[in-house]
Amino acid sequence: MDHVKLVNDPIDIAHIHQLLADEGCGASSVFVGTTRDNFQGKKVVSLAYEAYDSMALKEMNKICSDLRSKWPDLKHIVIYHRLGTVPVCEASVVIAASSPHRSEALESVSFAIDQLKTRVPIWKKEIYEGDYDSEWKENKESIRPKKSQSAFNYAACPCKVEESHDVPRTLVQIRVNDAELTKRLECFVNRKRDEINSQNVIDFKSSFVNSDKDFSDSCARTQSTIIKQEQSNSHLKVRRVNNRCGPQQMEMRPNYELELNKLMGSRDGQTDPSKEMRKSLPNSRLQAIESYMCLTTDNEENIFSRIKKVENRLLQLESISPEYRHFTKLEPSSMEPPPPKKIRKKSYSAQELSAFIQKIKDGSEFT
Amino acid sequence: MNADGPVVNVHVLFFAKSRELANTPRSKVDLPTEITASDLLELLVSKFGLTPIRDNLILAHNESYIDNLSERILFKEGDELAIIPPLSGG
Repeated sequence: MDHVKLVNDPIDIAHIHQLLADEGCGASSVFVGTTRDNFQGKKVVSLAYEAYDSMALKEMNKICSDLRSKWPDLKHIVIYHRLGTVPVCEASVVIAASSPHRSEALESVSFAIDQLKTRVPIWKKEIYEGDYDSEWKENKESIRPKKSQSAFNYAACPCKVEESHDVPRTLVQIRVNDAELTKRLECFVNRKRDEINSQNVIDFKSSFVNSDKDFSDSCARTQSTIIKQEQSNSHLKVRRVNNRCGPQQMEMRPNYELELNKLMGSRDGQTDPSKEMRKSLPNSRLQAIESYMCLTTDNEENIFSRIKKVENRLLQLESISPEYRHFTKLEPSSMEPPPPKKIRKKSYSAQELSAFIQKIKDGSEFT
Repeated sequence: MNADGPVVNVHVLFFAKSRELANTPRSKVDLPTEITASDLLELLVSKFGLTPIRDNLILAHNESYIDNLSERILFKEGDELAIIPPLSGG
């Protein structure tokens, strides 16, 4: 039998037990919801309950029929809810069920209180001690409007949803309030930052042992490894990384020529130290270096600007070594193969040849 | 509102926070015989000053919740509408 009631007086638990009693039942389960005396540090004096009586009873009866369809073995069901002012620590709701075996009784009561909090139109207001304003409570389970009721009528704009829910894994829909969203974004940014930081450390400090690893995605220009040795605090081995994509590469690199000019305070081609010196210097040695470094040379150029060019090249090579040859695009090199030496080939006539042979013969005869 | 189509007189009940905002437990209102739930909600919210809780309200028509706001509601004379703020029973 179903016992559904809204009551204005204290609920008598003994009476509930009488309602549940049945000779064929081995289990009766009783849930008693009582009023707490505190909320967020505020002392609760009492609670005021109100209900949409007729609808509340209707919903409570619906819960009973739901329970019976889910657990057909249930014998008696009791749902009592108290209304009006309820002092703290008194029962505001009692849900009870009896059944031949315990599992139905226990599960159904648990299900019923969840349903009651979700569907039954009853409200409570907490009245606090002191100057705090009383507050209408809200069950987290409470039935709520499904859509956000903004001025825009979403319902009027049907949205076609693809049958297959193949949402890219990278996309996530999040429905939260602004504060929560801000918090999550902050967490995300912080985590990304940490990730990048740790990656940077890995970039710089990776083991030589795993040198077969591909570092082409690393932004680091150097790799280092700590090699522990006895009697030593630290041994850091550094090697350079061939990285064509790194921000320091190529275009982004400082203009060494300009920097060096600044350092030397020289204006290219304008300072012209002693011409004797230029002439006296054997240019061949410099030329050899220049050609080795793929520099176009001009013997008439100021010797200092030529040396400077070599220095620039050295700096550049240092910054990109050792594989510089693969990606330094330079002016066409002056390393064309030297013109072949013209060796005049002498041609002999038949008479000359026979005379020559005769000469050898005669000579052999003389000796 | 009442300009086009027939209208019916409907009872409106207020509870908890909505009762305090509307300053009355019950009222009567003239409504068209057919209206979408979202329009109905807008109408009631503006008529009874329920704006502070409009996003948390749910309506009950003749003691049944209106779950879907795009639903078309048909009214008869003397129907009962309830303004239901979030529940807190138990």
